[in-house]
Amino acid sequence: MKFYRIMAVSRRVFRDVVNDKRSLAMLFLAPIFAMCVFGLAFSGDVEDVNVVIVNQDQGYTPPLGNTTYLSQTIISHLDTKVLNIQTMDNVEQARQQVMDGKTSAVIIFPENFTQNAIMATKNASAGSSAEIIIQGDDTIPNIKNAILKSVSDALTETMSEEGVNSPLKVTSEPIYGQDAEFIDFFVPGILAFVVYLLTTILTLITFVGERTSGTLERVLASPVTEGEVVTGYAITFGTLGVIQVTILLVIALVVFNIIVVGNVLLAFLAVAILAVTCQALGILLSSLAKRPEQAIQFFPFVVLPAFLLSGVFWPIQAIPEWLRPFSYLVPPTYAVDACRAVMLKGWGLEKIWPDLAALVIFAVLFLGLAVWSLKRGKK
Amino acid sequence: MNQQSELAIETRGLSKQYGNFTAVNHLDLKVKKGEIYGLLGPNGAGKTTLIKMLCSILHSTRGKARVLGEEIPDGNVVSSIGYMPQETGVYMGLTVDQNLKFYGRVFNLDKEEMEKREDELLKFVALEDWKHEMVENLSGGMKHRVSLACTLIHQPELLFLDEPTVGVDPELRVSFWNYFYQLRQKGVTILLTTHYMDEARNCDRIGFMQHGHLIAEDTPSKLLEESRTDSLEDAFLVFSRSDKKSGDGC
Repeated sequence: MKFYRIMAVSRRVFRDVVNDKRSLAMLFLAPIFAMCVFGLAFSGDVEDVNVVIVNQDQGYTPPLGNTTYLSQTIISHLDTKVLNIQTMDNVEQARQQVMDGKTSAVIIFPENFTQNAIMATKNASAGSSAEIIIQGDDTIPNIKNAILKSVSDALTETMSEEGVNSPLKVTSEPIYGQDAEFIDFFVPGILAFVVYLLTTILTLITFVGERTSGTLERVLASPVTEGEVVTGYAITFGTLGVIQVTILLVIALVVFNIIVVGNVLLAFLAVAILAVTCQALGILLSSLAKRPEQAIQFFPFVVLPAFLLSGVFWPIQAIPEWLRPFSYLVPPTYAVDACRAVMLKGWGLEKIWPDLAALVIFAVLFLGLAVWSLKRGKK
Repeated sequence: MNQQSELAIETRGLSKQYGNFTAVNHLDLKVKKGEIYGLLGPNGAGKTTLIKMLCSILHSTRGKARVLGEEIPDGNVVSSIGYMPQETGVYMGLTVDQNLKFYGRVFNLDKEEMEKREDELLKFVALEDWKHEMVENLSGGMKHRVSLACTLIHQPELLFLDEPTVGVDPELRVSFWNYFYQLRQKGVTILLTTHYMDEARNCDRIGFMQHGHLIAEDTPSKLLEESRTDSLEDAFLVFSRSDKKSGDGC
């Protein structure tokens, strides 16, 4: 080992990096970007969960006394940072809000809630107990737990304030996601995420190869148009996306025994449109890279936003409010949402169409931009 | 027959500008049908840029060009041209057969015609035994042979060959040229770039390119005569100096 030779190699590598301004920028921008996105997006606290309260509590009026409503005290103690509270009178209408995905849960205080609570305190042997019923969408464990915790905290605070020491029950009755576990929440998201990741990166690398090997030039010197190149890629990667999802889904069903209550073909459709969008994104990004090494530098910018903002690993409600609009600029968000709705809630086309429409818009936009980027290369 | 119908390529004041850099500068070029025309010049002279513009891969900044009688860029004319890029321009992850079939399909060849053409071309480039081999496993010279075969699969009327014989051994280079002559006999026009001066002598006409324009153009023998040299390399240097002087004079 000779020091001068080691230094010669080291200097050469440094020079290589410094000469490539893009690599240099990426070298410092990528970690800053990663740190910021992780730090900002990964707060872990769920906020702004929509819930509907149906308060049927008639209260309790002691002889010669004023009527007490424990339910109102509990409601006033609910954490409004966590829960966006709406009130309704009709349980069925409130349940419909959950079924339509407009709200995450209905919190029901039955008619005799306060009466049962106070009677039980006075006469522990009476056997009557008060319960709060939460009927909700239990497909996202973080949200389910956030609602339960918020209600339990408010309950504890009320009991100590009002001197109620009888057991108050919180009963969870899932409208969606009966027996759902984290893996059931995770799998639909990971299907979309894997397709997004692999398709974008594979197209990016493949297309940079097309540009550097001269094959793209040769093809564009033939009757093949830019639109035909992009469409040909779209068909291939759309099909590959569906095959990927099928394999993953079979493993998830056989090995992890996940819940699938809906028509998986709709999930396949969402993922296929996502794959088409992603291959167009890959082609678009490839126009910014002159060499395969430069393409690799795009990985953090492709992976991190989807990882953190698309709701794969935690719900969008766990992202800071100001950052949430960015979630809707990341195509996998819609595919994750659609796959989850189909597989865990059994939703059909009539309910997941907004997600599919958003994916189609992204696909058309990115396909158009990919064609434009190829045409621009001729200028 | 009018002059235009005799010309395979005609450019007038063709220019390509990249920011402040002029790759092709007001170039006038005429290549007759059935001619083998060689473009010679140092790296960066604009030869490849010119070929790319003529193949409609690049748009010109100024000037006009006609290829096979059609003003370019034109979507129809590309069916009649064959382009062999400087890089091999073949898919490394496909076999020789798959590459040829891909380019055959692009030009809408039917199955029977494709098989016939493929057999002919593989015989010509001496790759019959490598038909089902992945291109990435072939040597550099073999990859060039695959590239040439892909260029010829649809029997184009006009060939643009960007350094077609780089990395090809001398024996095969001779067979390439024999094939080019056969193509010329069939009326195919060939515009090629090369760095091999001995090879350039095989062209019907040669254009010396420097700084994006032609500094001299004629048959090899006339260029040698005019420059009073006995090698094209020396001839290029003579014309290059004289172009520089006339440029300085301006």
